[in-house]
Amino acid sequence: MVRALVSSQTERRPRLRVVRVGGVAFRVDASVLAMTGLALAALLALSAWALTLGSYRLPLAAVIAALSGSGSDEAQFIVLDLRLPRILAAVLIGPMLAMSGAIFQGLVRNPLVSPDVIGVNAGAAFVAVFWITTRHSPAALPLVAFAGAVVAASIVYLLSWRGHIAGPRLILVGIGVNAALSAATSFMVVRAEINDASRAVLWMTGSVYASTWNDVRTLALALAVLGPVGIALMWSLRVIQAGDLVARSVGMPLERVRLSLILVGCGLSAVAVSVAGPIGFVALMVPHLARMLAGPMCGSVFAFTGVLGALLLLGADMVGQHALPVGLPVGVVTAAVGAPYFLYLLYRVNARL
Amino acid sequence: MARLLADTVTLAYGRDRVVVDGLSLEIPDKAVTAIIGPNGCGKSTLLRALARLLAPQRGCVVLDGEAIHRLPTREVARRLSLLPQQASAPEAITVEDLVRRGRYPHQSFFQPPSRRDQVAVERALELAGMTELRDVPVDELSGGQRQRAWIAMTLAQETPLLLLDEPTTYLDIAHQQEVLALIRWLNREEGRTVVLVVHDVNHAAQVSDCVVAMRGGQVVAQGPPDRVLSPELLERVFEVPCEVVVPSASGSPVCMPRGRALPPGNSAPAGRAALRAERLSSGYSRRPVLRDVTVSLPAGRVTAIVGPNACGKSTLLRTLARLLKPEAGIVFLDERPVWESSHREFARRLALLAQGATVPEGLLVEELVAIGRYPYQRWYRQWSERDQQAVERAMVATGVIDLRWRAVETLSGGQRQRAWLAMALAQETPVLLLDEPTTFLDIAHQVEVLDLVWELSRSEGRTVVVVLHDLNQACRYADELVVMKDGRVVAAGPPAEVVDQELVRDVFGVDSTVIPDPATGRPLVLPGRALEFELASERLGEAEPRGRAWRGA
Repeated sequence: MVRALVSSQTERRPRLRVVRVGGVAFRVDASVLAMTGLALAALLALSAWALTLGSYRLPLAAVIAALSGSGSDEAQFIVLDLRLPRILAAVLIGPMLAMSGAIFQGLVRNPLVSPDVIGVNAGAAFVAVFWITTRHSPAALPLVAFAGAVVAASIVYLLSWRGHIAGPRLILVGIGVNAALSAATSFMVVRAEINDASRAVLWMTGSVYASTWNDVRTLALALAVLGPVGIALMWSLRVIQAGDLVARSVGMPLERVRLSLILVGCGLSAVAVSVAGPIGFVALMVPHLARMLAGPMCGSVFAFTGVLGALLLLGADMVGQHALPVGLPVGVVTAAVGAPYFLYLLYRVNARL
Repeated sequence: MARLLADTVTLAYGRDRVVVDGLSLEIPDKAVTAIIGPNGCGKSTLLRALARLLAPQRGCVVLDGEAIHRLPTREVARRLSLLPQQASAPEAITVEDLVRRGRYPHQSFFQPPSRRDQVAVERALELAGMTELRDVPVDELSGGQRQRAWIAMTLAQETPLLLLDEPTTYLDIAHQQEVLALIRWLNREEGRTVVLVVHDVNHAAQVSDCVVAMRGGQVVAQGPPDRVLSPELLERVFEVPCEVVVPSASGSPVCMPRGRALPPGNSAPAGRAALRAERLSSGYSRRPVLRDVTVSLPAGRVTAIVGPNACGKSTLLRTLARLLKPEAGIVFLDERPVWESSHREFARRLALLAQGATVPEGLLVEELVAIGRYPYQRWYRQWSERDQQAVERAMVATGVIDLRWRAVETLSGGQRQRAWLAMALAQETPVLLLDEPTTFLDIAHQVEVLDLVWELSRSEGRTVVVVLHDLNQACRYADELVVMKDGRVVAAGPPAEVVDQELVRDVFGVDSTVIPDPATGRPLVLPGRALEFELASERLGEAEPRGRAWRGA
């Protein structure tokens, strides 16, 4: 399968279509749209399947009945209050992480960058662990984690600013900030009471366990705003990938575009992390997969990245929840499955060179 | 038998990309052998195989009667050294440190650096002319100095066999001549065997005893330069008509490729200035590069900016293109200060093809060219009929239309350069700035690009400003020359009025002879050569030199 993935890229022959509505015109690759549609259908099927799974098995008919409000009270409670929020959280968090990774990787022109590498997630984790171990109200956790992510991103941005932002410097500063924040977080966990510490560690692994409708609303709102903005910005990111000089010589206000991209990337990642904790490898891995399948990043490939992210995170959560003898947080699954798979992909791609 | 030879070697990258197919070649001992050929003909690949860096699929490379792959690396490294192309040095390493590394094969854990190593390092530094720069970090050197630092490292290895991959790329004429003289000296005085890959045919002619012409992974011809470098053979190898001028007195032949466009001997008179800089000073944070530059670039003409390495050519181009804010002075585009217009508006009037741009993996040619349309688009209006037409036109003009669905990274150097040029053309600007568009291209592709540039200015009336490395190409194609040195403009005007022996000596620091180009009558610079010439090509019989007296004769 991997060979098929790889060769589909070298022999990529886009079927370009121009979509025109009044003053609005887009040029998209029909094959990417088809792939996105296919992935969406798969996502829908996977979600439906996930709704039937659990210690209390429900046939698909009962799930549909519960969704339409005509099932038994018990089924309705299980489907609508327990399973649906968790599934929706996974389906919303996956795209946010993946899109954030795609933005940072394109911006810095480096495939090794993602918000979990350059300290954005570590910032959220630091503040959240502080919040948990000092026994503040858990209701405000998402908000403070978001603040932490934004503060960490601002620190990285300010420290790497020398009249303009250079990619390599941003990575180095990001890795430094990431290390410092992770160390501080570990320190807090070690010093905390055992109960607080175990709660903090669970949060830090990243999980969508016990997501509420409130979480889903926060996530949906953020994705509904930032997703389209991200797609629109891809038009410029496509150009930035050919180099700063090229971007500026075709008349791009580079610093402004770059700042917008960083804000959107941070926003996507921070909201996701604030709800679910730092789930690793999704942001790093999914954009690679998407580019291998669909070609260099652009608006449609960005949307495709999002759908792939949803598929992957939901799949990982289902594996963690149902396929193993003990339930595992999704963050453990993405790391355990994602890291080796990623290495394998890299190996296969390199073997061709 | 020769010390180094290739016996029916087949070289490939991966399983299916065969670059060299069943090639046999004997490297003559104690001679200078130059390998020439078009981009992608396998010359660098062959050199890497000769240096044991690449294992042949079939056949073998033989060093002193033994298969080179059976010999231990250290043993090979004591007999043979390779100067790679575009080597990169670790950060902050000094020239002396770098050169010292050349001694590695002569040392071991139990044999720490000895006096002999120190002597070899000193000698290598001196030969390469790097003694004064020994304590400077390699990454702070200019392109030419860096190349010489690497040559010094290769020399410190003190091997009887020297393999050099494009030793003259990045260098200006003076440094090129220096390196060629050094190669000659190493061969004559020390009896070293030298194999070099060069893309400038004239360097091969100047320095070698034996020329190997390659095409499509095969040796087309091998022999002394005056026999191999005939117009017929060059045309067969490079697929471009060439003129060969042979100096009657013991000089080596000089080849000039001839393109479709043959600009007339008299440059068209310059009219209105499209782009004008007034008292410009510019540079990078702590390092001023341009000092008080005033220059005027005529509309609808080709202007070439020439000068030695690090003279500020690229900086001038970037300041003109508004990529660099000047510390003092103003740039006018159509008599309007460039910093007054918006990014988008400016990009519709002036396009810059920069040097060394990166391509994202998997990007197709058509997608790259479409980037040029950015200033005409908005995020909500990403494509229009006009965009489509401009992209098609640009691809047709540069001849990449058949490559439109190929990924850019799979193209050869020449094709890639043309794809980038198509991107700049798709921007549809009246003014086009090109930074060294011919570097890395073989002569056929160089001529192709320059022909295109000439046609753009003549048929579409575009203003073209191009930074060129090769003084002769600049003389042949430019209506106006701007000659720079040390961040200043030292001369400007039509090539015939500007270029003479004194200028070449003052600016580039090399003795030369300037004769009228037999094909056009424009100046032709022959570095360090005798005065009498005769034409080798019958074809040129009718093209009389147009009456300009030989300068400096």
